[in-house]
Amino acid sequence: MKVKSIFLSLAFLLTSSAALHAQNVADLVISEVLAEPDSTCIVDDFGKRTGWIEILNTSQGIVNMGGCYLTDDKNDLKKSLIPKTDNRVQIGPRQVALFFATGNGNQGAFYSSFKIRRGSTIYLVSNDGRTIVDSIVVPENLPVGMSVSKLAEDNKQMEFVTVPEPMTPSPRVLNGNQNVESNAQRMARQDPHGWILSATSVAVVFIALAILWFLFWLLFERVANAKAKKEKAMKEAAQQPVAAATSPADAETAAAIALALDMDQSGDTYAAIALGLHLYFSESAHDLESNVLTLKPMDHHEWSSKSSVLTQSPR
Amino acid sequence: MDQIISSLVQFWQYTGFANVAWQNIAMIIIGIAFISVAIIKDWEPLLLIPIGFGMIVGNIPMFPGMNIGIYENGSVLNILYQGVRQGWYPPLIFLGIGAMTDFSALISQPRLILIGAAAQMGIFGAYLLALLAGFAPNEAGAIGIIGGADGPTAIFLSSKLAPDLMGAIAVSAYSYMALVPVIQRPIMLLLTSKKERLIRMPAPRQVSQKEKIIFPIVGFLTTAFLVPSGLPLLGMLFFGNLLKESGVTRRLAETARGPLVDVVTILIGLTVGASTQADKFLTGKSILIFGLGLLSFIIATTVGVCFVKFFNLFLKQGRKINPLIGNAGVSAVPDSARVSEVVGREFDRNNHLLMHAMGPNVAGVIGSAVAAGILLSFLS
Repeated sequence: MKVKSIFLSLAFLLTSSAALHAQNVADLVISEVLAEPDSTCIVDDFGKRTGWIEILNTSQGIVNMGGCYLTDDKNDLKKSLIPKTDNRVQIGPRQVALFFATGNGNQGAFYSSFKIRRGSTIYLVSNDGRTIVDSIVVPENLPVGMSVSKLAEDNKQMEFVTVPEPMTPSPRVLNGNQNVESNAQRMARQDPHGWILSATSVAVVFIALAILWFLFWLLFERVANAKAKKEKAMKEAAQQPVAAATSPADAETAAAIALALDMDQSGDTYAAIALGLHLYFSESAHDLESNVLTLKPMDHHEWSSKSSVLTQSPR
Repeated sequence: MDQIISSLVQFWQYTGFANVAWQNIAMIIIGIAFISVAIIKDWEPLLLIPIGFGMIVGNIPMFPGMNIGIYENGSVLNILYQGVRQGWYPPLIFLGIGAMTDFSALISQPRLILIGAAAQMGIFGAYLLALLAGFAPNEAGAIGIIGGADGPTAIFLSSKLAPDLMGAIAVSAYSYMALVPVIQRPIMLLLTSKKERLIRMPAPRQVSQKEKIIFPIVGFLTTAFLVPSGLPLLGMLFFGNLLKESGVTRRLAETARGPLVDVVTILIGLTVGASTQADKFLTGKSILIFGLGLLSFIIATTVGVCFVKFFNLFLKQGRKINPLIGNAGVSAVPDSARVSEVVGREFDRNNHLLMHAMGPNVAGVIGSAVAAGILLSFLS
């Protein structure tokens, strides 16, 4: 019962952690922030130009931002709630969402209840209200009409760093060059004849299966071989003539057999001796007593087993 | 009267007769040939009959835009085709394969695993040749996997790497799997001496249930950690095998290897066949793919047999491996193992190689899934 409850608790913990991970809020990044717009910047749904915060879903799955928070105050992480009720807060893979920092969060799901100030830090907070998912510092000297952005610095576009120079705003558009070279294109460039890929792949297939071989040799075949050798040795020992026995135990066994044969030559005697010898040589169950071969009584065997003797009650 | 005639004309325009092209007829004839071969020769009937009939279904000429074709979004065939297109069916088939495969032959003689690895050279040989033939690396990878002689793996990989070539690749893989006895036998005879063909291998030891239970867990952890991209195939294969061997999930194992695999086989066969619409299938590329597929089988068999001969150089007398089981490294289970048995008995009626050949054969299934994972991680 105790074991069962431990298993259940573990399963619950695992599934709950999986649920947390499945939400993938950790895959969100504040990709761009505009503090002060100029006349060329986009307008919000009310026709006004304000600062904005762009959030990017870096994962390959849909992420629901509902319940997360935006803030510019580390001491008030729940400053501006992203509502759960609006389906649009679910961002598709490698997509961005834009939040206008008008200072009035009641204007809609994509409006924050604070304005962006230069020199402040913008935080994206997880739906637990405590965990900071990502942050970006808005430089003091950020020019009007320019934004601070993050760009991916790796081929897989997974690791983002803040670009030191102010950039021309690109709201609702992925930052940087999105024409990322695919793996196939890279292989075509780096390995046009395919030798590197082939050699590597063959090596990996061999390594994978060789590890399996080694593990099974180690775990099973070696043990089985040792067991087989032992059994073979015992079998050979059992096949040696009784007269040639040299050890005291063997001599005693031979004497016991000779005695039994002299006294009684019925089939039952032979069967009992054969069984006794079998158990003796296979070290299964015996005790040692001069000139006598005995079988140890077993605590439990099928003859006395209730499950074997009793018939099933009729249904 | 005019109205009746114009209605009849309009009806005529919607019939297959009005829209037929010679390519459609050619594909329908190929479909009928597949069905005939499956029935008359009993070559892979479980696959060739659904594929053959699917070819006929997919090549019925039709007026476009009626939302019934396999490539028309939202049509019934298109919905069923998503299992192929998105790669759902192959892992489900692997679940069934795992639940019906006995890995005892492999567990009792782990050294035979390496033959399964060697035979995967067919995949990479075909990859190199496909690149030479002018295919892009992702297309070459999808074509190369034909050499794994594993239909579900070929469909899985080609749906990810080169969806446009999937029909040709799948049909090629299944066709050559059906032709394994025809392709492999002459190569095996060519590469082995009479003395080698007579090698008798020691009987495999008996494998305990504990070993059979541990195998899928250890096998999965080893291969999946090394090649996580093969997870859908490897996970399902070993999961299915655990269902079989655990001894406490008999019902689940029976469903996996019975009704489930049957349903998925029907769907995968029919939709793969239907995806070979003449306009997409009858191209120069398809002919090249068929040629490369054949070469990949030849390379896989050759390397498998040669690898055993090489391996024998390091083995003591009495422990040597009969090179006739080298062909079984390709994962056409159990056909290639059966070829080893048949060819072996041609030269020594009492030399049964089937159980020995099943070792590399099931290792080939694991090897081809690993190879698919590697190609996926490099080329997707």
